[in-house]
Amino acid sequence: MKITRPDSLKEAAKLIATGGVAVAGGSGFQLEFSQGQTPPAQYVPIGHLIPKGIQGLTLGAGTPLEEIRHANIPLLSKACADVAAPNVRRLATLGGNLAWGKGCLIPALIALDAVVETTEGAMSVLEYLKAPFGIILSLTVRPLEDNKPKSTWRKVGLRQAFTASIIASAGMMSVKHGQISGLRLAVGGGATPPQRLYDAEAWLLGQTLEDVDLTDLRHRMRAEISAPDCAFRTASYRKRVAAAGLVAGLFGAPDVPLHKTTRRPTKMPLPELTELSRSAGQKRWQTRPDMPAKVRGKLLYLTDKREAQMLVGRILRAGRPHARILAIDTSKAEALSGVKAVVTHRDIKGLNGFGIVFQDQPALCADKVRYTGDPVAAVAAIDEATASKALSLIKVTYEDLPVVTEARAALMPDTPLVHETGNLVTEVSHGRGDTELEWTEAWANVAHIVEETYVTPRQMHGFMETEGGWAAPEGAGLLICAGGQHGARDQMQLSRILDMPTENLRVITSPTGGAFGGKDELTVQPALALLAQKSGQAVRLHLSRAESVQAGTKRNPMWIKMKTGCDAKGKVIVQDVDVLSECGAYASLSPGVLETAMEHVVGPYAIAHYRARGRLAYTNNGTCGAFRGFGANQMTYAIECQMDRLAGLCGLDPVDMRRRNLRALGSPGVLGQAVAPTERLPEMLAAASASRMWQPFAVKEDEWAGVGMALNYQGNGLGTIPEDEADFGLALKDGKIQALCGLDEMGQGLIASLHAAVSDKLGCDRADIYAVIGDTKHAPDSGSTTAARGGYVVWRGVEETAPAFQAALLGRAAQILNCASDTLAIVPGGITKFGLNTQTPCLTFADLGDVAPVQAHYLFPKTNYTKGNARFIFAFGATLARIAVNRITGMVRVVDFEMHTAAGPVMDMASYLGQMEGGLVQALGATLTEDMPYHAGHPVARNFDSYMMPNVKDAPEHIRVTAHESLDPEDPFGPRGAGELGVGAVAPAIANAVADAIGFWPAITPISPETILTVMDSFTEMDNLTTMEGRA
Amino acid sequence: MIQFKLNGVPAQIAADAMLVTYLREDIGATATKIGCDIGRCGACTVLRDGAPINACLVMGWQIEHAEITTITGLETQPAGRVLIKAMEIENGFQCGYCAPGVMMSLTGLLSVESLPDDAMIEEALEGNICRCTGYHSILRGARLARDMMKDTRR
Repeated sequence: MKITRPDSLKEAAKLIATGGVAVAGGSGFQLEFSQGQTPPAQYVPIGHLIPKGIQGLTLGAGTPLEEIRHANIPLLSKACADVAAPNVRRLATLGGNLAWGKGCLIPALIALDAVVETTEGAMSVLEYLKAPFGIILSLTVRPLEDNKPKSTWRKVGLRQAFTASIIASAGMMSVKHGQISGLRLAVGGGATPPQRLYDAEAWLLGQTLEDVDLTDLRHRMRAEISAPDCAFRTASYRKRVAAAGLVAGLFGAPDVPLHKTTRRPTKMPLPELTELSRSAGQKRWQTRPDMPAKVRGKLLYLTDKREAQMLVGRILRAGRPHARILAIDTSKAEALSGVKAVVTHRDIKGLNGFGIVFQDQPALCADKVRYTGDPVAAVAAIDEATASKALSLIKVTYEDLPVVTEARAALMPDTPLVHETGNLVTEVSHGRGDTELEWTEAWANVAHIVEETYVTPRQMHGFMETEGGWAAPEGAGLLICAGGQHGARDQMQLSRILDMPTENLRVITSPTGGAFGGKDELTVQPALALLAQKSGQAVRLHLSRAESVQAGTKRNPMWIKMKTGCDAKGKVIVQDVDVLSECGAYASLSPGVLETAMEHVVGPYAIAHYRARGRLAYTNNGTCGAFRGFGANQMTYAIECQMDRLAGLCGLDPVDMRRRNLRALGSPGVLGQAVAPTERLPEMLAAASASRMWQPFAVKEDEWAGVGMALNYQGNGLGTIPEDEADFGLALKDGKIQALCGLDEMGQGLIASLHAAVSDKLGCDRADIYAVIGDTKHAPDSGSTTAARGGYVVWRGVEETAPAFQAALLGRAAQILNCASDTLAIVPGGITKFGLNTQTPCLTFADLGDVAPVQAHYLFPKTNYTKGNARFIFAFGATLARIAVNRITGMVRVVDFEMHTAAGPVMDMASYLGQMEGGLVQALGATLTEDMPYHAGHPVARNFDSYMMPNVKDAPEHIRVTAHESLDPEDPFGPRGAGELGVGAVAPAIANAVADAIGFWPAITPISPETILTVMDSFTEMDNLTTMEGRA
Repeated sequence: MIQFKLNGVPAQIAADAMLVTYLREDIGATATKIGCDIGRCGACTVLRDGAPINACLVMGWQIEHAEITTITGLETQPAGRVLIKAMEIENGFQCGYCAPGVMMSLTGLLSVESLPDDAMIEEALEGNICRCTGYHSILRGARLARDMMKDTRR
């Protein structure tokens, strides 16, 4: 790109006339390029030529929005606070926002009747937008002449802050002697064309304030506003919220009838709860060992590796959802100077397939592509630009095939096949084995039935570090370093693909910048390995976010049809469940996800009769797999909403309803399997019953408040069918106690947990320990860092190895000190003698020399059921949410979360709290804003501009987390998994809270604001109120 | 070539080079992260003359003679040193990939506004996505840093 900096506005105008693109802050361009616009050949910076700064009501076009945001300009400063985020607003300029034509500020500028001064003369905002001639120099805003004109501004987006504009509305009104004397109403922003609502203004002018028929006004505005549909919101929603927003802003928030709320529970006696916080934790709250490097930017992630001569890899993706590959011609790419390797399926010596459950996913596609992110070829070149150029030179000839766009359709008889094996991946069925007669009788005996289909989204993991890493030849084989969740399994899968012995492959998987299940399956490792092998050089490869969005696995969407019947006293008797899920193009762990969902089909409740069927379908919609919660959270959403709905029908409060249905402690699990002791469901219910969350709380004037709860019940470990084992070791090397554990640090606090567990057991300091993790060469295979199994693996490993290791250390010390080892003890820093009244050890660990690893191999505890996958260990919790439903926009905001957990002893308090808080907010995203819809096999969201993960403003105001840490006296299983509890029961807690607020249980997540508004309308009509809008 | 200062050291960048690409690809300064490349996640946040901006939205021509501070230069900033301490105490982060950006956004705020209220802290973080923490540990760290600065001022 050519950057030509003009010396004068005249020169700038000349450059622009010949094709140059004027740029001031430039903040909008990168976004447009990412959406497919071609970057211009020439930029003409004009920021230095146009006025900056604010003088009275005149603002230089070059003034950054962040400056205006803090300048107290009527209406405009408030509007600026809603544009992007401060870091972007420092770059973005007022002129740029207007010249872009879609800027969020435009409605505000129209309502302010701003005069646009350009190099071609002065004009109004709408005149400028109609014919944007000249370079904008300044804007003068002209608020209505009045002492205190009323003004309103509302931007409605897809989340609470930093969102694209769905529609923005701005209004100013002056009133003289009770009559409306001046008025400007405008809408616009994003896809909505900027417009002034002249008809509504004309209708209102002169009316007496008190006499305005607000319902009529709202209808008039809706009729006048012109707005489009988009992939995320309808035109009707846009019109509606803009009209309602303007009316509420100028005349006061609507008065709405109160809904009958959920019954409040009676307080039960509180179990012992550990408050998880720094102040309450005191000595239990310690700085995580990985924190100092992380806060200083000194932690080297695997995608940060740079070395001289390191090549840059790129992957060619299909870009089409379903097609046969007719030919792949790489000759031009290979001929390009600087290209060191081009690989295709022809370079794969072993099995061209991977997958944790079955190997249906090609490392590089040979004959067919099944989703837009399917990899077809990869290149390694001397730099990124050359690698990109090489990709563009690979010619792949395709024959497009009909696209399977929907799970239900996928299972119809005549639908094209994604795989030759058929579109039905797996089907899982179980029940209590009732005869038809028993089944019919069960249904005949119920007093209340609730039937609903719950829909859960295709959530994206959204780890901040996208998939990537590096690989290089090492010895007779390869070193592959890429963020992952089970190095030894990656090694095994790569060995199959490369046809290379596992011992020739070294896989490093830590540190990983977030995973959440999305790096459990292989990601870029096959391409990296093939490129390093073919080029004979080190290669790095790091997916762009856009590529990650397209290629990465997602959470399996589910359609859960659930019909539940209970008797008049609230005892649930019978339940019928039919689940449909899709895995996209490849199975990965989706069969396990479905099976886990089915395993949680009755939740933590005793239901005498149930039948359940689940089916998993292939489609061409991306690819799905493991995601924190692993199906249990989807099913919990359904069952926990059913509980509240039945409670309402029976006149019970949510706690009482659940108490009447809790599974009997010690009884078999849903599949008839034996389960571990330490069931803490009654304790969790008691904690929920006594929660302060049920008390009234303040919300904004245009919101309604609601409180909801749901129980958590989450199986830990991989279950009975998969191999679930671990190796672990303790060694002394160079004065440090090495914890040898092949799990991965992905942020969850593995290292902190290792330090905590080892130091607690041995009596040394946390600082005496060094964790050797995530490296198949130096750490043993401890299994996968998934399924909330890490906590147990760490604890058990320490339990198994610490006694012998301690004996080895003390024995060594006894030799050196020439005394009996039973007179010695491990203390922080080394070894001391009993009776020595000193903090300083008499031998440091370094004095002992090295001690060879004490190792252990053990199995994750399993149950006796092997007809399907069943869990033995469960963790428990209760999640409560306070929410606010916005009466103008229909958007739901979580005000507070409270979560009580029972997952055994807490090893590291900060890590445990972090898992819960992070899980809660991640699940908040799936409940309110996150989804990855597909259109004709193409993802609708391409990056973080349209995929909406929670922003800081979406996070609740308060989060409180407690832990009930006790274990049953004979319980030998130690800490339970903490990684998945946080996400487990958020959706139903929010949905139940929404029902508390408006009497409606959202069954589709993310919850549609438009649905909420429609529901509000319907019960307003039901209550037969003549006016919904009140006068504030 | 455009002259600027990178963490106090004179440096050169092409006028049309994106700053984050220059840092990570051209000179291997990978302490600054990249998360979305379109200004929507804040992982690449750096300070331009003390003010936080997205390095993926800024080209060489926009930083002529500017002082660019990345996470690598954080400890040269008084507010940065306090923030580091506070974040360590509060365990602000989990995977830590968003940390270089978050730390710069907050340092930018604390450098000009030593006693920001909670709302100002939240606004300063609007451009930074964190997927691990749910933001609360980051907010606790930021508030502790503010309180520590308050204590120093006393």
